[in-house]
Amino acid sequence: MNNFLRRMIRSPQGALGMLLVGLILVVVVIGPAVAPHDPEIFSPLLRYKDPSPEFWLGTDQYGRDILSRLLYGARATVVMAVFATGLGTLVGAFIGTTSAYLGGRSDEIIMRTVDAVMSIPSLLLALLIVTLLGKSSTNALLAIAIAFTPGMARVTRSVALTVRKQDYVNAAIARGESPLFVVWREMLPNVVAPIVVETTVRVAFAVMLFATLSFLGLGAQPPAPEWGLMVSEARRYMHLSVWMLLWPALAVAWVAIGFNLLGDGLRDALNPRT
Amino acid sequence: MPSIPAPDLTMPPILDIAGYCLDYATPTGFKRALDNVTLHIAKGEVLGLVGESGSGKTSLAWAIMRHLPASAREAGRIALTDKDLLTASSSEIDAIRGARIGMVFQDPSTSLNPTLPLGEQLAEVLVRHRRLTRRQAWSEGESLLAKVGLKTPAAMMHRYPHEASGGEKQRVVIATAFACQPECIIFDEPTTALDVITAGEILDLFAELQAETGVASIYISHDLALVSNVCNRVAVIHHGKLVEQGPIRSVFTAPTHPYTRGLLAAVPQPDQRLVEMPLDTTSKALLEVENISVRYGKKPFLGRLLGRKNTQFAGNHAINLSVQPGEILGIVGESGSGKSTLAKALTGLNPFEGEIRFGGRPVRGLKDMDTAYRRDVQLIFQHPDSSLNPRQRIHEILSRPLVLYGEGRAADASRIAEMLEQVRLPASYADRYPHQLSGGEKQRVAIARAFASRPRLVICDEITSSLDVSVQASVIEILVDLQRLHGTGYLFITHDLNLVRQIAHRIAVMYRGELVELIAAADIATSAKHDYTRALISAVPIPLTGRHRP
Amino acid sequence: MSPSYFLKRIALIGYTLLVVSVIVFAITQILPADAAVMLLGENATPDALAVVREKLGLDAPVWLQYFHWLTNMLQGDFGISMRTNQSVGPELFAALGRSLLLALLSIVLMLVIAFPLGVYAAVRRGKAADFGVSVVSYIGVSLPEFVTSTLLILLFADWLGWLPATGYVPLTDDLLDGLAHLVLPVLTISAILIAHVSRMVRSELVDVLHADYIRAARLKGLSSWTVLFKHALRNALLPTITIVAMDVGYLLGGVIVVEEIFAIPGIGRLLITAIQNRDLPTIQAGALIMATTYAIANFLADMTYAWLDRRIQYE
Repeated sequence: MNNFLRRMIRSPQGALGMLLVGLILVVVVIGPAVAPHDPEIFSPLLRYKDPSPEFWLGTDQYGRDILSRLLYGARATVVMAVFATGLGTLVGAFIGTTSAYLGGRSDEIIMRTVDAVMSIPSLLLALLIVTLLGKSSTNALLAIAIAFTPGMARVTRSVALTVRKQDYVNAAIARGESPLFVVWREMLPNVVAPIVVETTVRVAFAVMLFATLSFLGLGAQPPAPEWGLMVSEARRYMHLSVWMLLWPALAVAWVAIGFNLLGDGLRDALNPRT
Repeated sequence: MPSIPAPDLTMPPILDIAGYCLDYATPTGFKRALDNVTLHIAKGEVLGLVGESGSGKTSLAWAIMRHLPASAREAGRIALTDKDLLTASSSEIDAIRGARIGMVFQDPSTSLNPTLPLGEQLAEVLVRHRRLTRRQAWSEGESLLAKVGLKTPAAMMHRYPHEASGGEKQRVVIATAFACQPECIIFDEPTTALDVITAGEILDLFAELQAETGVASIYISHDLALVSNVCNRVAVIHHGKLVEQGPIRSVFTAPTHPYTRGLLAAVPQPDQRLVEMPLDTTSKALLEVENISVRYGKKPFLGRLLGRKNTQFAGNHAINLSVQPGEILGIVGESGSGKSTLAKALTGLNPFEGEIRFGGRPVRGLKDMDTAYRRDVQLIFQHPDSSLNPRQRIHEILSRPLVLYGEGRAADASRIAEMLEQVRLPASYADRYPHQLSGGEKQRVAIARAFASRPRLVICDEITSSLDVSVQASVIEILVDLQRLHGTGYLFITHDLNLVRQIAHRIAVMYRGELVELIAAADIATSAKHDYTRALISAVPIPLTGRHRP
Repeated sequence: MSPSYFLKRIALIGYTLLVVSVIVFAITQILPADAAVMLLGENATPDALAVVREKLGLDAPVWLQYFHWLTNMLQGDFGISMRTNQSVGPELFAALGRSLLLALLSIVLMLVIAFPLGVYAAVRRGKAADFGVSVVSYIGVSLPEFVTSTLLILLFADWLGWLPATGYVPLTDDLLDGLAHLVLPVLTISAILIAHVSRMVRSELVDVLHADYIRAARLKGLSSWTVLFKHALRNALLPTITIVAMDVGYLLGGVIVVEEIFAIPGIGRLLITAIQNRDLPTIQAGALIMATTYAIANFLADMTYAWLDRRIQYE
């Protein structure tokens, strides 16, 4: 473990990524506990306020404290994105590994179909699914998970194929091991590392996608303190206060950059050759 | 093969290296790659630079070509006919490279740009250094290609690397190196990536050109047999130091340094048998292979219906052989000959047609390969890096066969220690991960794993091909000991004819998927029937005694 | 390239489009337990529901519905919009034209900036310039379109007043004003593309520069310029085509958001409006057209790749 952490810190991406994501996780866990104000309280007299000692980041169009809304909203945005990515990865990984193991015609058919599904751009697919299921955070989460599944299937398959070609897998088959043993004990432990890297980078994309869906009114619904939703609502009042637009936008960028950096740092740390 | 002419020692050396030291910068400080290297090469001379992996021989090549990372530290002197290379400016170096020092690389598949025609890659040095116009360069290039023995030089100029064979590509690379008539050429293992017969042709070409041009050559190789056939002098390098230097004859017949002696002792000498002969030929055959064929590639979709040609190609075609209990059957052939295919078929990794009989029982496919068969027939792979699961510890890797073949739960520590001891590894290795072991040690673990179930037949698929020669010798020693101890039969697959002549009872020769010869090891040099076998015997360099003498 | 390779690719794109059409249809018409209720809401009268059901052909078996829908699509009949009660086709294609303009301008801008940037970063690997480009591209890749566009509008339209904030003016009406309205949308879409592609170009080129044949070329005495431009770039070019094709997917997503924000009447905006109005035929047609565009872009990239890479010709 120590060795791993040391390798992570060695690259600037790894170090910075860990820092940013670490901070985000802290906010997710204790955010609501340390928020100075109730995010849902309207204060009509305190609308569009600039940052001040009482409201560190200012207030929005209903006089709600932006900082508190951000702190509460971290859970909405980040946790949703992580779950969506995780779900997409699990299902995608299963499809990809199985396809790699089966090989031959089955593999080709599965992958061609996966490619066809990937022909639908992620946002479009998510939009369609949300249309089907109805507008809500949970449905947006499901939509993103489904949109990610084919991409993760492809990545997993590619990694699994590389692992499959390794002689230790052939050695296991030549020993007469059962297919389950080969996939579970020989292949999967070696497939996990590259998948973790890929997943981390996708979380960044999931955050952006989730915020975009909320922005378009198809994800989180008002008065949820979801960051994309906050930007969407703030657009109308841009002239009155730039802060209600700026802070949630920066928050989304922070999370996306953090996970991107972390993913790149992981890639270097887990690569045995470096 | 034309003989290497005597070098002209009255002239000053073409390449003069004096007290040269090289340190590479690593995250943990500087690491010394070359220590006080002193050697020189005269006009017309071929100096062999012999060493195992990590010895620094390639680093010396980069140092001469001035292709070192900016963080490297150097001391000493490297001079090319009075021009000090260490102090030369980068534009001077650019002018020297290709024009006064040339280099021939190891693998022509990777040292040629896949997106440029071969002719372009040859002509550009002529344009750059000899100031020819493009048209002049191309026609000059054509004549150079003819000179290196390519049959259709004009067509070859326009071909892309993937359209030429390994031998053809290497000829182009050689032509490029000789194109500007350099004073010195470095040959970095130029035949390692080629099959033995093509390698022989390339060596002949090299000798011819060297004799004609008198270029001072450094011939880097790990293969002592090769070096003894090609060079006048040899320098032996070990951990960055030159441990011995001198004329080939004296160094190889009377080495002074212990390392050189060890190295020479490890080189397979075909007339030094390691395995005692007599074999009980009356007992029933252990393994019988009858008409085995393996086909690769997919049958074309609706092939016969649409009249499409069957694009499958035969990995193995109608192979017949047998192995007696306790026999070592060697299988030799080049890559693509189908020897690994056979190994994979025998262990169920490839589907096959035909019949196998093991201990009398017929095995017609994967379904017949039950636990008893698996226990008795084990396979060891070529690459130690990829045959052990990097995420499993050694004790886990070793106890798996015991669990699988019904010896109960995971083996206890003493059993594991016993297995490690059998392959001369310390018991403490049980807790390690594969990446903490060297290549040779990993291969020994693979051998221990194979012997865990006391198999009756062990298939060794080129298990020493990626090991250094001294490491190979120790692994072969272990294999021979185990055979004596347990009476196991081996199917020993290799491309090293000298090695197989040392240990096999009989040798099978494979060529393009077919078994072309099956003959007693003692007779192969004298009574080979098939042309390919004979070509192989004459192409393989034998240490010290020169070729054409079995 | 061999005819069989070409035919195989055509067959593949056919299969792809088939699957896409099935997915689009399934999601919009089959999976909703009752599409009619979905359209009209829970409180609709049974009569109204019956009318809609008949209009959509919902009482027919599923595969028949799909078959009718598909054959209509293939014949160019995209149905009647539930919102405007007019034929979907003409409006759809007019909108598509505007989106394509946006997309093309974005791609051109991306190519012009991303390639030199990526090459520069690769050549100056490890130095300050590389770091700088890296930072900028990290940021670019991490900003969703709605953030970038909002920030750009804030800067250029509100504070500086140089460019109009939203809206669309056809180029045929007023070229300059039309272009002015397109600047911010194009910048928004390009931002992500440039960031992504320049990173990929850098990474590909760095890999190529470490190859044995590049070292061999250097050791032949060729200058670094020759090695870079003659030897290295053409090897980095091929994989980049694949990456650019993949980015068309991001592009299409970006187009949807950007058109919504900047009020550009393209196919993305049409889709969003259709989704909000539950205009089923428009949703289906729009989604299908977008996915088809992506599939065609990938197909063209494959063909270009195959034409340029001699090795594939021999497969």
